[in-house]
Amino acid sequence: MDALSGREPFIMIADGKSALFAPSGMKDGPLPTHYEPLESPIHNPLYSTQSNPVAKRWEQADNHLAPPGDSRFPYAFTTYRLTEHHSAGTPTRSVPVTAELQPEGFAEIPTELAQELGIRNLDWVVISTLRGEIETKALVTDRLRPFHLDGGRTVYQIGMPWHFGWKGYATGDIANVLTAVVGDPNTSMHENKALTCNLRRGRLPRVDMPRGER
Amino acid sequence: MNVPPRALDYPDSFLDTVIPDESELTCGTKIEPGKSYGFFTDTTLCIGCKACEVACKEWNNLPADNLGLTGRSYDNTGDLGANTLRHVSFIEKIGHGEDRATEMAPFQSNWLMMSDVCKHCANAPCLEACPTGSIFRTEFDTVVVQQDICNGCGYCVPACPFGVVELSLDDGKAHKCTLCYDRLKGGLEPACAKACPTDSIQFGELNELFDRAGKRVEELHELGATDAYLYGAPDTPGATGGLRHLNAFFLLTDRPEVYNLPVAPTRASSRAAPSFLTGLAAMAGLTLAAAALMSNGRGRR
Repeated sequence: MDALSGREPFIMIADGKSALFAPSGMKDGPLPTHYEPLESPIHNPLYSTQSNPVAKRWEQADNHLAPPGDSRFPYAFTTYRLTEHHSAGTPTRSVPVTAELQPEGFAEIPTELAQELGIRNLDWVVISTLRGEIETKALVTDRLRPFHLDGGRTVYQIGMPWHFGWKGYATGDIANVLTAVVGDPNTSMHENKALTCNLRRGRLPRVDMPRGER
Repeated sequence: MNVPPRALDYPDSFLDTVIPDESELTCGTKIEPGKSYGFFTDTTLCIGCKACEVACKEWNNLPADNLGLTGRSYDNTGDLGANTLRHVSFIEKIGHGEDRATEMAPFQSNWLMMSDVCKHCANAPCLEACPTGSIFRTEFDTVVVQQDICNGCGYCVPACPFGVVELSLDDGKAHKCTLCYDRLKGGLEPACAKACPTDSIQFGELNELFDRAGKRVEELHELGATDAYLYGAPDTPGATGGLRHLNAFFLLTDRPEVYNLPVAPTRASSRAAPSFLTGLAAMAGLTLAAAALMSNGRGRR
């Protein structure tokens, strides 16, 4: 690591630099292009190939991908982390002072979509993909701006922090139930940022009731 | 990069003794009794990480409370209280529908974050209201509640124009930020300021902080953030109603009430004399009226 300066952030590459033309070392390339994510609410507007042909896919019964523009899963779905929690929340959800800062799982929902579906702030919502479904609390926000894509079509994005589970003080359903096991061709990094989902107000019927509220 | 002169004296990762005057290394300020110290909280630098809240609770050994989602942006703390001496508020002013901002002003994300704290007022109304002498001004010009003397009368709670002081449900006594009185005595920078990764919270000698804050406002104005101003520095909003100035003052970019701060805070004590005189006048008036009524009655008989 000593060989790379702080201005050379591509640490997996010998010279630490990125390249627009990369004739070797990559499984895709040599020039960059735009592919839609493997699950996308739209068809690739730039180019006839929808998504990266060399992306790693694992075809199995619990890992299906929705086809582009699938009307069963009209919303874009992304996951991310919060500064208050570390990793999957294992170290921080069990510590009271960090758990109280983000005490429950939630999904951020654009105001327009919430109005359309009759979802109010802090309502329980069910998010589903072809892989599974979870329930979580709604955090309605103007920060998620609707996308205007594909000739004026409005696509909403739902965001969900990824730290939760059912141990510790801060608990919530697990976002990875929804994500797909697909890999970047070069790093095998899984796709957790761009997926499609459906959303409705309500809760899931469950045999084991994690919060004992039902 | 500026390396504080004494920093090179302590190259080890693990130390078995406390560094004397550690605050000199962490914030460039030597803490000496008799001088005034405070916080300058620059909200344009706050990234909402809440490290100050965690550092405060860790150092002061405060329990978690209100475990639950508030639904108010990323703020699940709610407000300052007996167990919460730092509170980061999150204000979403993105706009709604087609009014959403499409461009951001320099140094603004339209998601305002501010780490709120006790203001350690120069003329502290809580201190003026305290009948036991539990609240006192320390040798560092900060305002502290002595827990062993507080009798839990709660007069300081409504006296505070900022809603900072709260009675604890655990011991019934008043609690608020001590500006880490114990740390200052040991030559340590307060926990929140030391933990702040962006120096949004700056600890230092008060006059130096006022200078630094004034320059920061000028710098922001030059960079295009023309709505930046100080709240609580001498002759600024927040330093009204006889408070003179706030030892913990802020740099804001929107109206004070957007941050849940009073536009013109006042001392409760300045209302004591007028309300006492009003009471006296009312008593005098009623006495005269009663005397008049009685003398009328006697006349009719």
